[in-house]
Amino acid sequence: MLYSEIVIAGCGNPLFADDGFGPAVIEELLKLSLPDNVSVVDAGLGGPHFIFTLLDPEVTRKLVIIDIADFGAEPGTLAKFRVEDLPPGSYRDAHSWDLTEPLQRIKDLIDITVIGCQPARVTDPEMEIGLSDEVSDAIPKTVRYVLEMVGTDYGTTGQHLQEEERQRSSAETCGTGKIR
Amino acid sequence: MSKVVEISPTTRHEGHSKLVLKVNDAGIIETGNWCSITPVRGVEKLAVGKTPEQVPKIASRVCGICPIAHNLAATEAMEASIKCEIPKDAKMLRHILQLANRLHSIALHNILILPDYYIPGTETKINPFTSEEPVRSVAKRIQRLREIGQTIGQIAGGDCIHPRNTRIGGMYRNCSPQAKTKMYDLAKEGLVLAHQQAEFMIAVIRNYHNRDTVDVGGMKVPMPKTLGYHNQGYLATHAFYGSSSLDECPTWDINRFKEVRPWDWYMGEMEVTLEEPKYPIGGTTKLGTKVNPQMEACTGIPMYDGQPVEVGPRARLVTFKNYDEKGTAGQNIARQMEYQDCLYEMIDCIDALNPDGKVVADYIPNGDGSLGWASNEAPRGTDVHITRVKDWKVQYFSMLVPTTWNFATCSAALKGAPWQLAEVIMRGYDPCVSCATHMIVLDEDNKMVAQKLIQ
Repeated sequence: MLYSEIVIAGCGNPLFADDGFGPAVIEELLKLSLPDNVSVVDAGLGGPHFIFTLLDPEVTRKLVIIDIADFGAEPGTLAKFRVEDLPPGSYRDAHSWDLTEPLQRIKDLIDITVIGCQPARVTDPEMEIGLSDEVSDAIPKTVRYVLEMVGTDYGTTGQHLQEEERQRSSAETCGTGKIR
Repeated sequence: MSKVVEISPTTRHEGHSKLVLKVNDAGIIETGNWCSITPVRGVEKLAVGKTPEQVPKIASRVCGICPIAHNLAATEAMEASIKCEIPKDAKMLRHILQLANRLHSIALHNILILPDYYIPGTETKINPFTSEEPVRSVAKRIQRLREIGQTIGQIAGGDCIHPRNTRIGGMYRNCSPQAKTKMYDLAKEGLVLAHQQAEFMIAVIRNYHNRDTVDVGGMKVPMPKTLGYHNQGYLATHAFYGSSSLDECPTWDINRFKEVRPWDWYMGEMEVTLEEPKYPIGGTTKLGTKVNPQMEACTGIPMYDGQPVEVGPRARLVTFKNYDEKGTAGQNIARQMEYQDCLYEMIDCIDALNPDGKVVADYIPNGDGSLGWASNEAPRGTDVHITRVKDWKVQYFSMLVPTTWNFATCSAALKGAPWQLAEVIMRGYDPCVSCATHMIVLDEDNKMVAQKLIQ
């Protein structure tokens, strides 16, 4: 099968600054050796076309979507959503399915979690490559959270990621004088 | 007296577009304008100064559905500019990747157009998501074809959405003999399914176009025998893959191409004077709304030999296989005919692939600033990328994507059709108007909807 029991999909467009958060997390996850029952996919803008409409609930039990989400918090803040929390249109394949949403069709068959990061800057329609510092700093925490979700414990990976988070946090505090 | 009706947004395709139609008293389109309303993004500007390795990755992100075509066209445009010939086995892997993507795309388009059609012998429109037979079996077959396409693409390209295996000078790695066997088995399974699926689709397409009237939102609309006909030309650079300026006999000529601005081509400011609340989904635009396709259109109009041309499956079949069926029916049938062609060609490519062969060129030049172009026959038509690379930096980059070619041609094809069938004509082009959507997770009072913050 194309997709396995657990599917991690990073959504968004790296051409619009912080919108590249999902693919950036996937890039980090691909560096790790994950179990065979986990598929890690850089979905870009093609999640609805290539993944959400192609999952087989007989095989895939869990779908984790990583993306930016505007929920009015400080940039870099992470939040977890269920499909029911999302406003209409969040993962609508623009207008392709008679304005229905692929996630709504599979949410009762597959356990879906969306990890959203509050962006600092999304430049659409202007193109700009590169994440803001706040969103970039949220990557290790997201990776750690995904590893917890898929039940992968390498003994040291989680610790290293926590250490990296602390280092990034202290570097920022020293640099800007802000306390987070 | 002419009236103006607007369908916005258009549905069941990728991206944001709209139709502005000037119609006569009988509801027949006198002038049709189909235009993109996705803002121009300036990828060409962003590419300047980047390395040739970076630009194909950037190009593949401009749209959600065609990353593979853009990745391949941009990579090969770079190679054409620096004059780098890639090894045969790298070419085979790229061909397999591209054909796998086309297989998935045809199957996906089946789902998008099926709701227009009837189950033959009945007055029941097809709902591809129903659990009832006979549609259930068709939907399962479509899903399997999509899965086969994506799996083969993943093996050949390293990833089935944004391929990681392509690089300037070839591919990063060849596949193993076991992976080659797996691709071969999948392609053979797909071929049987593709035959069945093409036969089914051609039957429902013919059934639809042979009817005297069809239903659109409860309205009985007469079906013209010339639905979607136009007198524009066709452009295709290869029956399957593409061409480039490195070829001995290139099949695209940059000197025959020019681009005009949309305001030379589209209608100016008008007011909506015809509204139809029964039109699916949610009715047409309200009476009195100001529309201005000239100013709202977000693409240029590319011309080949001085006129807009059609690109896509029918253009390929007309150019390379003497296909002669016109109109929307001919266009959709051509796409079904590509199902089997695509898998036969894929099997040939897998046969020719040597898993022990080298896949990276021995020498990759840095480029002297020469103009290079490459076309890739994407599922929805000719995708041409043009570039100049000097000292391993991109000096110029331009993308001529398939749907841009088709906008003006489709606008011409709308003329003479009942306005209610304008979207059926448009869907025949399998448009991809690139878009980006973002999540806004705030309720009406601007409060956060998230239930649990991750600590």
